[in-house]
Amino acid sequence: MLAEAGSTTTSRVEQLWLQDFRCFGSVEVSFPAGLTVLYGDNGQGKTSLLEAVGWVARARSFRGVPDAALVRRGAAAAVVRAEVGAGTRTRLFEAEIRGQGRNRIQVNRQAVARRRDLYGLLRVTVFAPDDLELVKGGPAGRRSYLDELLSLVGARYDAAASDYERVLRHRNALLRGPRHDELRGASLAVFDEQLVRAGAELVRGRLRLTARLLPAVDAAYRALAGHDAVIHASYEPDWCEPLTADDVDAVEDLMRAALERTARAEAERGVTLVGPHRDEWRITIGGLDARTQASQGEQRTLALALRLAGHAVVADLTGDAPVLLLDDVFSELDHARAEALVRSLPAAQTLVTTAGSLPATVTPQQAMRVAAGRVETMEP
Amino acid sequence: MAVYEGPVQQLIDELGRLPGIGPKSAQRIAFHLLKAAPEDAKRLARAIVEAKERVSWCRRCYNLAEGELCAFCRDERRDPHVLCIVEEPRDIVAIERTGEYRGRYHVLQGAISPIEGVGPEQLRIKELLARLPEEGVTEVILATNPNIEGEATAMYLARLLKPLGVRVTRIASGLPVGGDLEYADEVTLGRALEGRHEL
Ligand SMILES: [Zn+2]
Repeated sequence: MLAEAGSTTTSRVEQLWLQDFRCFGSVEVSFPAGLTVLYGDNGQGKTSLLEAVGWVARARSFRGVPDAALVRRGAAAAVVRAEVGAGTRTRLFEAEIRGQGRNRIQVNRQAVARRRDLYGLLRVTVFAPDDLELVKGGPAGRRSYLDELLSLVGARYDAAASDYERVLRHRNALLRGPRHDELRGASLAVFDEQLVRAGAELVRGRLRLTARLLPAVDAAYRALAGHDAVIHASYEPDWCEPLTADDVDAVEDLMRAALERTARAEAERGVTLVGPHRDEWRITIGGLDARTQASQGEQRTLALALRLAGHAVVADLTGDAPVLLLDDVFSELDHARAEALVRSLPAAQTLVTTAGSLPATVTPQQAMRVAAGRVETMEP
Repeated sequence: MAVYEGPVQQLIDELGRLPGIGPKSAQRIAFHLLKAAPEDAKRLARAIVEAKERVSWCRRCYNLAEGELCAFCRDERRDPHVLCIVEEPRDIVAIERTGEYRGRYHVLQGAISPIEGVGPEQLRIKELLARLPEEGVTEVILATNPNIEGEATAMYLARLLKPLGVRVTRIASGLPVGGDLEYADEVTLGRALEGRHEL
């Protein structure tokens, strides 16, 4: 079981209102189904529009900035409102994003207390210029790629990930505290068990997801590159031998055994050495490590393939195709790859930003120009 | 950030030290009180002083009490052999509202949280252990919050209490994950009490 029961209708953003969000004073935009292109020079706000749509889905910026960065200078809070349609049903999302203190989020005028209560309202797949880091960067980026997809597939994985993060902080605080303490020993035993419970849930999710993803990555890579390539991903924990989806039932015991083995090293270093926060997801193309041995072109194709595959798997498992947000990706691609990406894009609601022009084969439903925090509709 | 003079700023500062009240709310409440009728403001001040003087911790269960023992510990109709363990006095209110529970309570006054430097020794656990033989307790229900800290505390207590031969149960997790007991609705909590499971 990877996915929770999903709806069979596709949700999309129909209307978006922003106030004091980034450079926007007050703006209202409607988005049709299909493709919308946002033209504009850099720094004019086109990416901020995508960011706002992403905020509706995740209650945080996909650019990895703190909420304070989203509030227009001089304003106390940014307001994001969106009508999210799914089939015949429309839900009103409203958020007051504050630079300091708690944000206020409501869906249909009902307060939403926690991020995970937004589960299923809206899903997005984001393509950004720095996606290349997924392939070229360290393991942390690949771990969060997997965890992000898991949180779209089931609220329980989102819960496992945030539980795990908190258990890890508690456990590290204990390991750094005074040693040779009887009470510490007893508390540590309790947090060991919690680390195993939340950690194993996360690892099991990543393993099942890997099995689902690989065929989709293969297919996306073939479509983008125009030729076959043998792509493999291996889940390599820092604390045991590589794992596959066949090992899901063994994860808890493996973690317990590893904790026992490393108890002394953890006590000496005062930090948790066992668990999914230390794992690598190693991708190979034709048997060669994609991070260190692939060409720049192969790496770029692989990064796009990972995003497309993630999108396809989430759509398949939940019955709800995420809204595609493509931020300035065509500028990084040569002509052939850009054309191939356009051909491979699923028929979900898609929002694209560009500072230049789009591949000639793209025919948008709507085109808009974003300049100095204003949005104007153009002839498509 | 002293903007106002003397007593006004002092009032804002004091209000701002209360949990959940930021500088802006503190200012708003202060001006509300200053505009209110003198009798209203005095009534509030008296209520605070009186509560602080007359209410303290129950000597037995560490619930709030007016006098030596709280209302539950004084109530002879309550089953003294069953103890429900909660984090805070406010959690008792949530459980009482279900009308399902007839035993007594023990308030830990917190939960294990190494991040905040709270270990078992900071909680009323020694006092709990002393109560078990004294009061002939046969069953302990762990009703700490269903979040990381509450689960850790329940797990810690289960390991401590089971060797002593008492029945230890945990309220079933029909409770929202990561939520506080305080906000659990009565129906879920009632069901959770019925469906408690052996640890
Ligand atoms: Zn009492």
